[in-house]
Amino acid sequence: MHEFPITKLGGFNIDLSTWGAIIISAIITFLLARLAVRNLSVHNPGKLQNFMEWVVEFVHTTIASTMPLEKVKRYISLGLTLIIFIFVSNMLGLPFGIVFDFHHENEFLGITKEVLEQHHGAVHMAFWKSPTADLAVTAGLAITVIFLVHYLGLKENTKHYIKHYVEPFPVFLPLNIIKEISKPVTLALRLYANIFAGEVLISTILMLGWVGIPFLAVWQGFSIFVGAIQAFLFTILTMVYISQATIHHHEEEAH
Amino acid sequence: MDFVWESTVFAIAAFLILYWLLNKYAFGPLFSIMEQRRQLIQQQMSTAETSRKAAETSMEEQKAALEQARKEAYAIIEQARTTSTKQADEIVQSARNEASRLKDDALKDIESEKNKAIAALRTEVGGISVQIASKIIEKQVDEKSQEQLVDQYLKEVGSK
Repeated sequence: MHEFPITKLGGFNIDLSTWGAIIISAIITFLLARLAVRNLSVHNPGKLQNFMEWVVEFVHTTIASTMPLEKVKRYISLGLTLIIFIFVSNMLGLPFGIVFDFHHENEFLGITKEVLEQHHGAVHMAFWKSPTADLAVTAGLAITVIFLVHYLGLKENTKHYIKHYVEPFPVFLPLNIIKEISKPVTLALRLYANIFAGEVLISTILMLGWVGIPFLAVWQGFSIFVGAIQAFLFTILTMVYISQATIHHHEEEAH
Repeated sequence: MDFVWESTVFAIAAFLILYWLLNKYAFGPLFSIMEQRRQLIQQQMSTAETSRKAAETSMEEQKAALEQARKEAYAIIEQARTTSTKQADEIVQSARNEASRLKDDALKDIESEKNKAIAALRTEVGGISVQIASKIIEKQVDEKSQEQLVDQYLKEVGSK
């Protein structure tokens, strides 16, 4: 498979393709949102404003399905950022790929002698991918979200939040801890695996050559669907976790 | 595929910055616009409700006014009918009275004329009778019959 360009900069490993993808996704997300609110109007909203308002309504409904209505408002921005950013990220790797073949050592891109030997003298470097096809990125998102969940739980629902670790009996403490750990792990892995698998299959189909075009079309269409579903899932699970941590009666499990 | 933890840190940072930027420059204004629209719609709905109530009230008022007018018209017609009946009765009554009065007058006139005529006739007949009688008496009364007649008169007078 492809290797990714990793630059060593002051002792840090900088994955250029991932960083670039994150930056591009963030910029696209921000531009999309800015364009939507460029000519805001109460009476005569533009097409993009209408679309963005639909997204807001959609996220509002989604969040409202997990928690009481009066609490929804605080989390709409978070839900919107999550769903748009993840969706844009998921789409980013779909339309094309940028792959270079390297036959020589390149210190800047992290192509060392060992790597070259490992790949028999020709390294395929992918510079373009979905940021969410990188476990490190989805882990970052999941960590952010889970940190927020526990912070909100501790701050707003202290007694019940702490108590829920020893419910229904203190014996369940390890199970509850495993449950809490599994939340970010599943969040990160689910998103990463879906998108990464999609991209792997795309590059596999590309190996077919011309014959693969119909398959590629079908698979890319399906990947758009998967990307949308995963963005939605990540958002709604985030809200479910927040709801579980901050709302008093959280005996029921949403798995 | 290695797990590059620097990417994780960068992803977290990028996400937080993106969240902050979007919240400040995109979603904030959008939410305020949506809130404004919500308020506008609420206001319009309450205005519509108010005007609907006002319309209902004025409708009720007009209905009441119409009902009142109808009642009044009915009363007026009824009154007119009563008045006209009464007037007609009066007219008929007065005509009847007038007629009977005229008839009575006529009867009286006839009576008085008849009496006058009878009186005149009587006077005439009296005169004529006297004349006839005097003529007869002048011609036919002889000494004897005159004496007889005077006696009879005297007798009659004396018996009274």
